[in-house]
Amino acid sequence: MAVKSLIKRNYDKQPQLNYPDYKSSILRAPKKDKVFFPSSPSEVSGPIFNKNIIRKFDNDLTLNFSQNNASPIGHKIIVHGTIRDQFLKPIEGALIEIWQANAGGKYFHNKDQNIAAIDPNFAGCGRFITENNGSYEFITIQPGPYPYPNRGVEWRPMHIHFSIFGKSFGQRLITQMYFEGDPLIDFCPMVNSIPDKKAKKSLIGSLDRTQSNTKQLLAYKFDIILRGSNQTFFENRTEGL
Amino acid sequence: MNYPKNIADETPFQTAGPFLHIGCLPNTININGVFQNDLGEKPFINKDTNDFISISGSVFDGSGQALDDVMLETWQSDENGVYTPDNGFARFVPNSISKKYKLSTIKPGSVQNFDGSLQSPHISFSISSRGINMNLNTRMYFEGDNLFKDPLLSMIKKSNNDVSSLIASKIDDTSFIFNIFLQGDKETIFLDV
Repeated sequence: MAVKSLIKRNYDKQPQLNYPDYKSSILRAPKKDKVFFPSSPSEVSGPIFNKNIIRKFDNDLTLNFSQNNASPIGHKIIVHGTIRDQFLKPIEGALIEIWQANAGGKYFHNKDQNIAAIDPNFAGCGRFITENNGSYEFITIQPGPYPYPNRGVEWRPMHIHFSIFGKSFGQRLITQMYFEGDPLIDFCPMVNSIPDKKAKKSLIGSLDRTQSNTKQLLAYKFDIILRGSNQTFFENRTEGL
Repeated sequence: MNYPKNIADETPFQTAGPFLHIGCLPNTININGVFQNDLGEKPFINKDTNDFISISGSVFDGSGQALDDVMLETWQSDENGVYTPDNGFARFVPNSISKKYKLSTIKPGSVQNFDGSLQSPHISFSISSRGINMNLNTRMYFEGDNLFKDPLLSMIKKSNNDVSSLIASKIDDTSFIFNIFLQGDKETIFLDV
């Protein structure tokens, strides 16, 4: 019999759910502790997406919504990296979905109250399925910072949202990537909801000067670690016992 | 709790924010033509929809308000309790007027655990939104099913906790209501999966 279980999550390295400096968390963070239980097949299985859902420009946000081949405003960047598990094993076939504001800090979304302008050539969404070495790459526009209502008006650092499916539903990760050198990172309550300094820093994409020079686009490297799982075999037991 | 040594830290979570539709459900906000279909529009592609059940409900915040900027994702087995990687996933948001979500799917079967015990039919939920720094996991079971032997429910009951927040109310054989409460007297049990 094989028992598969996800590595126990280390909440010291994760954001606090209830973090009143981020006002929206006050009414949305559950008050009770989460209930831990051993992984079952429901947690170690998960949807796996076929590469055929990805079309040619899905990972190029400068082209996938452009009208009449016009370019979006702003400077193009490359965001790339690898997805690995906690044992540093590359994860092939992981689906990454990203979304972001345009160069002026405006989302293509009717609920965005920011007065900055919509860019008709930039929707701000992309997706990709990782290669066999776990690597991914997006071409996009440097997103702008933007003001939002929190404790009065505050500013979000430049960021890209990431949603990732690995091999199991228990590995699901939703996060944000920030940009090296952005002074707004330190003041962001969403970033600061993570108490651990090293964990916080792991969300900052680093400027990749080698790629920036060879490809003539500023490149940022953002590596992602999804939960690992252990497999244990009990050879002396028969199936179903 | 001891964590295994010499392994890398999992990347930290961050909130999905209020504009998650752009990346996760672009066609629902009229970003058309980028992705042909939104992911998880239908949990099962090759099943007879006449056999589908419907599950509906709302997600409530601590002030009792039903949210419309929340995203729900579900993962379930087929009718025989078998998980298949290309079926069983759905992703949806509540209707902006009624604030209710609706999921049409097949009723999952009982899933066999690694030790051979049977889990009662259930659907796994993941909930993401603005104000939720780390998406929340829970499970939905079905009123009317035999729930006495389910390992998770039994474990929670042993520590004297009420499991009713994990059980969808049965309206009739094909329709169920499952509300999720982020806070308050009826706060849903969330799981450290």
